Amino acid sequence: MNHSIGRLVVTKPTVRVMRKFLDMQCSFGWSIRLTSAVLLALMQLPVQAATPTQAATPDWSGVWAMQGGTVFDLATQTGKGGTTTPGVREHPPYNKEYEAKYQANLALRDQGILPDPNSLCGIPTGFPRILNLPDVYEFAVTPQQVWIIAENGPNVMRIYTDGRQHPAPADRWPTHTGDSVGHWEGDTLVFDTVSLHSSENGRTMVDRTGLMLSDAAHVVSRMHINKAGLMEVQMTLEDAKALTAPWVVTKQFKQQEKGARVYDYACNENNRNPVDPKTGWTYTIGPDGRIIDQPAAKK
Amino acid sequence: MKHFCSTLLTACALLLTTTVVLAHHSDAMFDHEQVRELSGTVKEFQFTNPHAWIQLSVTDAKGKVVEWSLEWGSPNQLGRQGIRPSTFAPGTALTIRANPMKDGTPGGAFIGARFSDGKTIGRWD
Repeated sequence: MNHSIGRLVVTKPTVRVMRKFLDMQCSFGWSIRLTSAVLLALMQLPVQAATPTQAATPDWSGVWAMQGGTVFDLATQTGKGGTTTPGVREHPPYNKEYEAKYQANLALRDQGILPDPNSLCGIPTGFPRILNLPDVYEFAVTPQQVWIIAENGPNVMRIYTDGRQHPAPADRWPTHTGDSVGHWEGDTLVFDTVSLHSSENGRTMVDRTGLMLSDAAHVVSRMHINKAGLMEVQMTLEDAKALTAPWVVTKQFKQQEKGARVYDYACNENNRNPVDPKTGWTYTIGPDGRIIDQPAAKK
Repeated sequence: MKHFCSTLLTACALLLTTTVVLAHHSDAMFDHEQVRELSGTVKEFQFTNPHAWIQLSVTDAKGKVVEWSLEWGSPNQLGRQGIRPSTFAPGTALTIRANPMKDGTPGGAFIGARFSDGKTIGRWD
């Protein structure tokens, strides 16, 4: 699996120089014609500006809200426990080991005791879940970098578009949002993400139903404003340890009314629902600061 | 008016859904198949993250004042929908519908409210 998006980059100025060269040498012999053929072949490659200008990047300003529920896999929204049959709708193509883990998580979810690290207030949501949150989003675009800013959390993801590649494997380590490098194909941002935390150690979870990925996860995302005016992100997830085939998920975001504002989100400001990370119990704190409910009654 | 209306609107329960968006924790503590209607006065409106809470003083059938904790969405979401910290001023008399907590403790997930002048907030259909 090649995690690099590195490829021959032929910038627009380079193409202009090539064309001038071809204009000058048309009367020379076959060797020059061979050179011309090579140059012409190069010119057929996608023209990619290594670092586009601000004017060349799309306007993604404004405030956006994700459409649909905060469940990554739509199949799990059906009924108590959800549609858990492998291969149905968007159910991830898990291998046997990870399917069993997911089913176990779904069972805990149905009891309201799934130990979701996102419930703990303070741990980043991570990718790809950062594209699966309530509240609103901002997408900040500069020639060198794109920021996905989620109000909920808050959570931030950085995508480098300045032509850099992923660090060498020895120079990177798992993080919540991983390492993302990308480029523009017209108005579509294409980015490649690696070095994500595994769901195994309880550090992260792909959604609140207990979807899991391993530390081998690799995601290629294509992000653009579609014909309906919705920001659309199509993520193709590969995971040699968890999936038997690529799993493609699409999330959409609707632009909010002009002038909409984004606010602070301080999860521990007045969190009256602390979660026990070991048992997954969600408690409720009363007006006097004491827990007022009993876990046994939650079943 | 501080009287307790322990009306259990089971028949209406399936017609109403909570407006609380519980982003970061389970909502298993609430009984979403029951709707409780509570009349009382606002003690405090906590317009705070991650969720807003309405503290409602309700007088029960025995004359005892019970403080209910009613959980709602994030102030950010609510603020964009026109809700303000002043929306539920302390001392305001109103009726609130909520999905009660399963274990019977005085709390629930806010569905909607009706003020004495008939104005409603949230879902009240």
